[in-house]
Amino acid sequence: MPKKFLGLVCFFTSVIGLVLIYIAAINLQPVEIKISQISSDLIGRSISTRGIITQKRLHSAGHMFLVISNDNSEIQVPIFSSLMNDLKKENITESDFKINETISVTGLVDEYMGQLQILPRKTSDIKLGG
Amino acid sequence: MVEILDLIFFSLLGVMVGIGMGLLPGMHINNVIPLILSFSMFFPSSYNLVVFIISVAITQIFISYIPSIFLGAPDENTSLSVLPGHRLLLEGNGYEAIKLTIIGGIGSLLISLIIIAVLANTFSYLYEMSRPYVQYLIIAVVIFMVVSEKKLRNILSAILIIFLSGIFGVIVLGSTIVKSENVLFPVLSGMFGLSTIIISINERSKIPEQKKDFELKITKWKLIKSCFLGSIAGIIVGFLPAIGVSQAGTMVQYIGGMGESRSFLVTLAGINLSNEAFSLISLFLVNNPRSGASVAIQKILTQLTLYDVLLLVGVICFVSGIAALLTMFFGRKIPNFLAKLNYKYLSISVISFVLIMIFLLTGIYGLLIVFTSTSIGLLCGFLEIRRSHCMGVLLIPSILFFSGLNGTVLSILGI
Repeated sequence: MPKKFLGLVCFFTSVIGLVLIYIAAINLQPVEIKISQISSDLIGRSISTRGIITQKRLHSAGHMFLVISNDNSEIQVPIFSSLMNDLKKENITESDFKINETISVTGLVDEYMGQLQILPRKTSDIKLGG
Repeated sequence: MVEILDLIFFSLLGVMVGIGMGLLPGMHINNVIPLILSFSMFFPSSYNLVVFIISVAITQIFISYIPSIFLGAPDENTSLSVLPGHRLLLEGNGYEAIKLTIIGGIGSLLISLIIIAVLANTFSYLYEMSRPYVQYLIIAVVIFMVVSEKKLRNILSAILIIFLSGIFGVIVLGSTIVKSENVLFPVLSGMFGLSTIIISINERSKIPEQKKDFELKITKWKLIKSCFLGSIAGIIVGFLPAIGVSQAGTMVQYIGGMGESRSFLVTLAGINLSNEAFSLISLFLVNNPRSGASVAIQKILTQLTLYDVLLLVGVICFVSGIAALLTMFFGRKIPNFLAKLNYKYLSISVISFVLIMIFLLTGIYGLLIVFTSTSIGLLCGFLEIRRSHCMGVLLIPSILFFSGLNGTVLSILGI
């Protein structure tokens, strides 16, 4: 078979694959679970959880590290500087993250230095209040 | 206290697994790390598991040159892009090619260990200093990769592949359709493994009679220069995110005048091994994993001490020595065996094994990802441009990440 034809077939299968993956990606909703149910089995998965801010620490590089808790369980939520900058564009600054404030976070479950954490990646992954 | 005999046992076990992995075309340590980690309960201590992973990774690098040189060589008359190893094979110098990769690997490893030891205290500073500019360095590498194709048709083809694989990377790495720790398995297996095997099934030519002498037809000066360049490029690759061995190889080929097959093979093997060594040591130097094996090791050991690094370096050197000897041995024996094997059946078996593994680890979405990544890899082959352009799958998301645009792009895409 001529290479040109095979190349065209590969191009179209790549595009079809991309479209199907994109459709799957936008329709997959993160699982909503309690902080106490988050375990290392969920590492690499996207989840949504809710709790109150119990600790807040600012880093000189512009990152903010939160600890949120619910039902006597807690988890770390690092918000990196790039996301902090995006939040600022939506008029949300570090001062809006108050201790004892309710927060909903969506993000990837990850492990850092043996501790589980949730990594939000975009502004809509963080909802303050309510 | 870690039992030394246990460490040696698991090193040798890793060497054995590494031989099997290296001989199977298209297999990579990243493909089996999730599987190895799932068997972690059978290892008496976390250090045994770490030693096993390093041994597999290092041995696989050495041994993999045997199938990559002796299998899938295209017919020189029909293919424009004959790889340096295949060029030597077609000239009857396949054994010499194997020896060059061993010398390149060992030579560059020793040089890079000296460089890393001398500059150890500066890496952390360099790492922090380079962070704000990493995206510009990656953009420069992408531009270089495209321009190095020279012909307009190839340049346009390269842009198409980088664009396609870039969008693919943004969607796949940005979404969570597959667990993030396993997502690179179907992505890289398809682009670099399965697509290569599929193309080589059709292009397979008969292996010509090989010269039995191992005499090196390269000057000592060129050998030392190639090893040195391999070490430097390997460390740089380990330092910069998303930049792979193939990109560094291409750049060294142009910048260092490594157009000649023998020098290129030495340098490429050097980049591969010094990159793996630096990636492992960087866990201690910059507290950041730079390869699949080092990501796994960081998860296992969490925080590395200087003594852990000494153990890592010791295992790397110990295993490299054994793997080099074994590569020499298998380099003589295996090609005759490979020539008798039915390459088509071997390839189909490897493809089936990889697909089953992908399905078990990543499910139906993993199969969809590997279908797409293989198509992009095949497209690269049919366009007759370097497959390293597929690294757009990591390069473009990395540019977005370091530019701080990742969140914005994901929001726009609605992922």
